[in-house]
Amino acid sequence: MNSPGISKQNESEAPPGGGGTTRSKVCLSVSSLSVHYRDFTAVSDISLDMPAGEITALVGPSGCGKSSFLHSLNRLTDLVPGCRVTGSIRLSDGTEVTHPKTDVLALRRRIGIVFQRPNPFPQSIRRNFDIPLKEHGWRKRDIADRMESALREVGLWNEVSDRLHKSAIALSGGQQQRLCIARALALEPETILFDEPCSALDPIASGVVEDLIHSLRGKLTVVIVTHNLAQARRIADRAAVFWVREGVGTMVEQGPCERVFTAPSDPDAALYLSGARG
Amino acid sequence: MTSSRNTSLSRSIDRTVQGVLALLALVSGGMVLLIVWYLLANAWPAIEAGRLGSFFADRLWQPGSQRDPQFGVVPMLAGSFLVTFLAVALALPVGLAGAIFHRFYAPPALERWNRRILELLIGVPAVVFGFWGLMVIVPLIVRLAPDSPGQSLLAGGIVLALMILPIITLTSQAALQAVPPAQLQAAAGLGIGRARTIWSIALPAARGGIGAGILLSLARAIGETMAVVLVCGNIPQIPKSLFDGIRPVTSTIALEMGYATASHKALLFCAALLLVLFTAVLVGWISFRRIDADPGTGGA
Amino acid sequence: MALPNRTAKAVFPSVADRAFGFVGATAALLSFGLFAWIVWDLARLGLPQISWAYLTGEVQDAGRSGGIGPLLVSTLLILVCCLGLVIPLGTGCALWLSEFVRRGSLAARLVTGGVDLLASVPSIVFGLFGMVFFGQTLRMGFSIVSGGLTLACMILPILVRTTLSALEALPADLRPASAGLGLTRTTAIVKILLPAALPGIVVGITLGIGRALSETAALIFTSGYSIRWPESLDDSGRALSVHIYDLALNVANGSTMASASALVLLALILVVNSAAVALSEHWLRRRHATL
Repeated sequence: MNSPGISKQNESEAPPGGGGTTRSKVCLSVSSLSVHYRDFTAVSDISLDMPAGEITALVGPSGCGKSSFLHSLNRLTDLVPGCRVTGSIRLSDGTEVTHPKTDVLALRRRIGIVFQRPNPFPQSIRRNFDIPLKEHGWRKRDIADRMESALREVGLWNEVSDRLHKSAIALSGGQQQRLCIARALALEPETILFDEPCSALDPIASGVVEDLIHSLRGKLTVVIVTHNLAQARRIADRAAVFWVREGVGTMVEQGPCERVFTAPSDPDAALYLSGARG
Repeated sequence: MTSSRNTSLSRSIDRTVQGVLALLALVSGGMVLLIVWYLLANAWPAIEAGRLGSFFADRLWQPGSQRDPQFGVVPMLAGSFLVTFLAVALALPVGLAGAIFHRFYAPPALERWNRRILELLIGVPAVVFGFWGLMVIVPLIVRLAPDSPGQSLLAGGIVLALMILPIITLTSQAALQAVPPAQLQAAAGLGIGRARTIWSIALPAARGGIGAGILLSLARAIGETMAVVLVCGNIPQIPKSLFDGIRPVTSTIALEMGYATASHKALLFCAALLLVLFTAVLVGWISFRRIDADPGTGGA
Repeated sequence: MALPNRTAKAVFPSVADRAFGFVGATAALLSFGLFAWIVWDLARLGLPQISWAYLTGEVQDAGRSGGIGPLLVSTLLILVCCLGLVIPLGTGCALWLSEFVRRGSLAARLVTGGVDLLASVPSIVFGLFGMVFFGQTLRMGFSIVSGGLTLACMILPILVRTTLSALEALPADLRPASAGLGLTRTTAIVKILLPAALPGIVVGITLGIGRALSETAALIFTSGYSIRWPESLDDSGRALSVHIYDLALNVANGSTMASASALVLLALILVVNSAAVALSEHWLRRRHATL
């Protein structure tokens, strides 16, 4: 299962077991990014590199623009009327995400996303894979294989292999979320964005999904927004802390996860990470 | 195993689909304009020939008469309005009382069945109502007033009232259901009895929705053709009593369009325009009120 | 202030309460009774006439004898023409309103306002419009297709409204879910949104069929009165409802046969409307069970 050939890009293959200690290739490079909704600025002037194969956690209080930032990375902000993104998001092959001519659909194949609430299509499990895979040009005979390996990757294959024709809505919340992750993985993306993937799940399902995200480390680039600081600390290689300054979301701290948590330089971030504020 | 697709193709498919859907929406939204345009175009010969004056001023409607053709729409308008108001006057108290009963008195199981029956009644075709009225209501009226032909303003009013009864009941019921429970609880907390709660709290709070239901049934009744054409007697006159025959605007169109020519035909289109105008005003009024109404009084 | 006279006050509410209850119960009984009354009268006269021969036979002696076979076929063909236009038109309009324009935008308000006004147009006016637009301008004359298309315009608002509310009731996160997977809007509409909204759309179509079956005034000047077996969609064909009208108004001693036809029409509408109710309740239950 190699990286898809939709672009010539491939040189940024993740270093196996690449950890937070070695400086690896950058998969997503963001510079001076701002997201505006009409006359309101959600988040302003973010510059952040997300290394390939690593897990980057975005943390911060509600309303600090983490999700807006995350959604701008694969142009889901396009769906919001009146939303404007300025600045630059560059992929490793030089593609500029924010450029109006960028092929948004192919971009979203390369950068998948998993939302807070599991959102399988209200159809059979099989159709949940058929529709996106066909859309992106997979051949019919390959689709079943892609589905099976993606479902195996999220540990769902044994649970659902005998009821692929049943409705995806009938699965439990945790299973639905893993299905959504598998659905994103099936498209062989370079990056997956997670928007608080565990906050709508019960503690046990949440733990399963967390382990699953952790297991993606080294295989692809992960960017995760989470409110759960302990979770961020457990799974992330790098962390960025967002904060609201003068009504505008901004990034106040970033770096290797351990350093951010143990020795934050920003006073607000320090208080937030110690649990005293936010 | 690679993915490949023609992005520019799928983009142009997307654009085409959006264009086609926009076109369908334009056709749907513009249909009413097309209708008005065609009515106007066919009514134009009469308007151009200056017939509108006699249309509103003539006291009689005898377009076929060789010696003294008269084109007065007033008798028909009077018939339409009288039969409509009679119908609403008959149906409103009954419908409102039924709605109050089902909201505040009846057990829930009965309420469900009531809704079923009312929805069935709404589904009964107008022509069946009219035919049944001709078979049942008209003979009853003859028995009541042996000198009259039976086909009359009263017959039309009763049949129309029965037709709009389910509409008034269902909309009033929905409006009563939408009264915030907190207001009813407050009344109960003050020890106010059920009758006074209904009269002084629930009905005033629901009056917006009930009003909308009345307007809706007015629009429905004034545009109704089949029920009235069979039971009203089809005499184009201003009635002097409930037992006189009338001929509403809709009946006139249905009865005469088959053979009308020239200015007679154009005047029938003028009458159709008048009908559209009345119903559009009523429906426009409903939506205007809905936008205007505060959450407490908006119903149905 | 002195203590209120409690006993005097208490009498009034209980009397009023009972009066309210009594009047209300009588009124409610009337609507129950009315339906039974209508059906009883029609069945008393009409039921003895109904037989297989009646349902399939030709109309004889202006309807005083014979059957209603050709009329049922004409009615069915009129429905087919009607649905052929109204399903794509209504679904397309609702899709555009829910997926391509923002709610409350000027374009959306104009289109929904136009559709609402269309719903207020009296059916006889649709008949006139169909006669001059489909019949004369588009040269369809008195024909089944002309009647069907006229009915399509008439039930369009029902279909737009039900489809729109079905689409708006879908979980909001289906759209970001589709976009997040890089699906085109066409794919999202055809493969995800429409299948999910199908129950609501089917209920809307069923309601529209019920309305179209019961319509008379819009048909007398469009599909006409012919009682022959229709050979093509260009033929004039009398719908069942028009037959009842004609028997009641123009045919002396027609009321027995009119009752039979009315009974058949009522049964058809009853089946269609109950199907709509059953379908919507079935889907509602399934939705509650799975969500």
